[in-house]
Amino acid sequence: MKTLRAILPPLIPFVAITATMEFLVREGFIRSYLLPAPSAVFLAIWNNGSELAQAMLKTSAAALIGFALSTLTGIAAAVLLSSSRWVQKAFYPYAVFFQTVPVIAIAPLLVIWFGYGMQTVIASAFVVSIFPVIANTLSGILSTDPALRDLFRLYGATPSMTLFKLRFPAALPQIFTGLRVAAGLAVIGAIVGEFIGGGGLGSVVDIARTQQRVDKVFAAVLLASLLGLALFGLINLISRITLHSWHASEQ
Amino acid sequence: MLRRAFLKTTPLLGFLASCGKSAKIRLALDWKPEPEFGGFYAAPFDKHSLEVEILPGGAGTPTVQMIGAGSAEFGIVAGDELVVARSKGNNVVALFAVYQDSPLGIMAHASRNLSSIGDVFKGGAVALQQGLPFAALLERKYGFGRVRVVPSPNGDITAFLNDEMFAQQCYITSEPLAARKKGVAVKTFPVSDTGFDPYSTVLATSDDTLRKNPAMVKSMVAAVREGWRAYLDDPKPVNEKMHQMNPSMDADTFAEVAEVQKPFIEGAPNTELGAMTKPRWDTLIGQLKDLGYIPAAIPAEECFRLL
Amino acid sequence: MNAAAHAGVALRLEGVRRVFDGTLGKPFAVIAGMDLRIEAGEFLAVLGPSGCGKSTLLRMIARLDEPDGGRIVRDPDGDRAQTAFVFQDAHLLPWRNVLDNAALPLELLGVAHAQRRDAALAALGQVNLIEAVDRYPAQLSGGMRMRVSLARALVTEPRLLLLDEPFAALDEITRFHLDVQLRELWRARGMTVIFVTHSISEAAFLANRAVVMSRRGGAIKLDRTIALPNERTNELRADPRLGQEMKLLLDAIEE
Repeated sequence: MKTLRAILPPLIPFVAITATMEFLVREGFIRSYLLPAPSAVFLAIWNNGSELAQAMLKTSAAALIGFALSTLTGIAAAVLLSSSRWVQKAFYPYAVFFQTVPVIAIAPLLVIWFGYGMQTVIASAFVVSIFPVIANTLSGILSTDPALRDLFRLYGATPSMTLFKLRFPAALPQIFTGLRVAAGLAVIGAIVGEFIGGGGLGSVVDIARTQQRVDKVFAAVLLASLLGLALFGLINLISRITLHSWHASEQ
Repeated sequence: MLRRAFLKTTPLLGFLASCGKSAKIRLALDWKPEPEFGGFYAAPFDKHSLEVEILPGGAGTPTVQMIGAGSAEFGIVAGDELVVARSKGNNVVALFAVYQDSPLGIMAHASRNLSSIGDVFKGGAVALQQGLPFAALLERKYGFGRVRVVPSPNGDITAFLNDEMFAQQCYITSEPLAARKKGVAVKTFPVSDTGFDPYSTVLATSDDTLRKNPAMVKSMVAAVREGWRAYLDDPKPVNEKMHQMNPSMDADTFAEVAEVQKPFIEGAPNTELGAMTKPRWDTLIGQLKDLGYIPAAIPAEECFRLL
Repeated sequence: MNAAAHAGVALRLEGVRRVFDGTLGKPFAVIAGMDLRIEAGEFLAVLGPSGCGKSTLLRMIARLDEPDGGRIVRDPDGDRAQTAFVFQDAHLLPWRNVLDNAALPLELLGVAHAQRRDAALAALGQVNLIEAVDRYPAQLSGGMRMRVSLARALVTEPRLLLLDEPFAALDEITRFHLDVQLRELWRARGMTVIFVTHSISEAAFLANRAVVMSRRGGAIKLDRTIALPNERTNELRADPRLGQEMKLLLDAIEE
């Protein structure tokens, strides 16, 4: 019953919009070669099930690996940047670079450096998703409660003690915020990488687009969105479990 | 009834939106300004009382959909994509075929000593735009089991230059020249040798536009024809204009490509510029049905109009 | 009870100065040359309006800040374990339970696990929180969290206990109870306590001696020994002598 109550609100607009779109395309108000009917999209998923499943697996793998790499590297980089103001000033601008460079412009470069294949797709997912990890982790580490920092200083805690026992755990909520953003971006990065480097859902979209098969394009895009959603949900779950004690309500 | 009323109102709204300024005709290109579009930039639209805005394109510009959606009155399309569009209900019609023969080809390092297009698929890697009918044809004919197929780099030849076993889809008038300039000898295999030879760089419009404004479309074709004549006679001034818009290709290359593309445009002797014949369209339609790109053959005479 | 083990620290402030950058970049002296002697084992309340420098004073005594002039002498001087600080909010680590929060100072000082566990339990016992040792801060009321903070401060058996308006955010009843509890802990251990507060009634109730700081510059306007019995219970709240002390303090602040 509780699950139904949670699902019902978002379900209603979904059903309404899908039904409207189906009607509009069937009656010819919207041209089917520009926007496919929802039924056509689901049919495309059904008819191309194994191809789409395989493609989704490939994209998922690349996005997950890229995301894992950007999590580890991003957190490590942020910890390093937090160590001194000089280090921050010297290297943070380069981290910003990862945020501002349009991935569609560097993806061809990635192919030149890493060749065709999954490694390029992973690299693309990594480049796109690392900045929010760095930015949020650094922000979290630097915004530690000053009173707690004083407390640690009072008892003579070394900088590394303060980092691992205080600043890093205190930064976890913000780290998870960064990971949530990075998860979606990793999927986008993987798809863009696949446009240029081949394979996965990106390749399905590219080929279907060339074949003018709008229904298949939408099918692949829908699955890519679901992938992003799933990854986001996974991070949320891990976040809730990890931070459980922070928010447990009064007994 | 309601549907027709709705479809009637959308262009009306579009017209109302553009009221106040003279109705501009938009011509959407499917690539950046290059010699393959020279005649369009040379066309004397003013002389034919046409106000035309040429919209340059790039990788993946969906000109066929743009015509269908009404965001451009005219567009440049490939013959095969036009047929596929019509079979899906997007009624685009061809008016003027700039390229009598398809300039698509596969280029490979000359050092590999390949003798025919089939040899390309015996090993190494080949970059193809896999959704295209010609790629499906090549797969069917030669099989992709022994070669690694990767996405087409859209004109970039860096991977090609760095790897001897890397072949790529190209415009015969373009990438091979660039490769030679970088000191790599190439051998190019025209796709048309396989018998698949759609008209290319085709000026097209929608059935609707043609039906509602036949005089305007006729003037458009006339202007384009004159433009191509002028460009073929002397490409230099228009090349300069296009080079300004597209500095990624240097002036020398503009001149070279303009020269190399001439046989594709002029076609067999005594062919009129932009001409199209029913037998050519019939052949193409049959090939596309055979490849599974269209469920059933469509009437060739609906695909093109000679004005 | 070993008096020597729980004995307090004597402090001598000589010409202590602390200068801050003002809003327009002009430096101004928050404390402009303060002299103050604090005996070992005293319970000193520090009063004054906002911005008078009482928190700054406390921080300098805790060695979290350095004076810009003058010096602060301690007797005995030495190890880190001897000073403890209680902040206005409990400032507990939300990812640790009550026991681990209380044990934190000993952990930072490198004390072994078993020992610090015992010490933490003892400290929590002193503030009557044994039944909550496994709970997390999010599950505690404000008052309970402050008691954990107190236990954390006491876990190193400090000679000097500094408190900066620790009960200000709590409701009055809880405040009254914690006042009594703090006073009892002081009586049992004999450490020096310096208690900064805004509350005149709290200062009078808790302290043996109260110092009122001036609005600017950190001058001492009043230094008074509180004339109330050593044992302070909530019965005292109705005692007219408490009111008299409060009036004296109030006058000093207001003049």
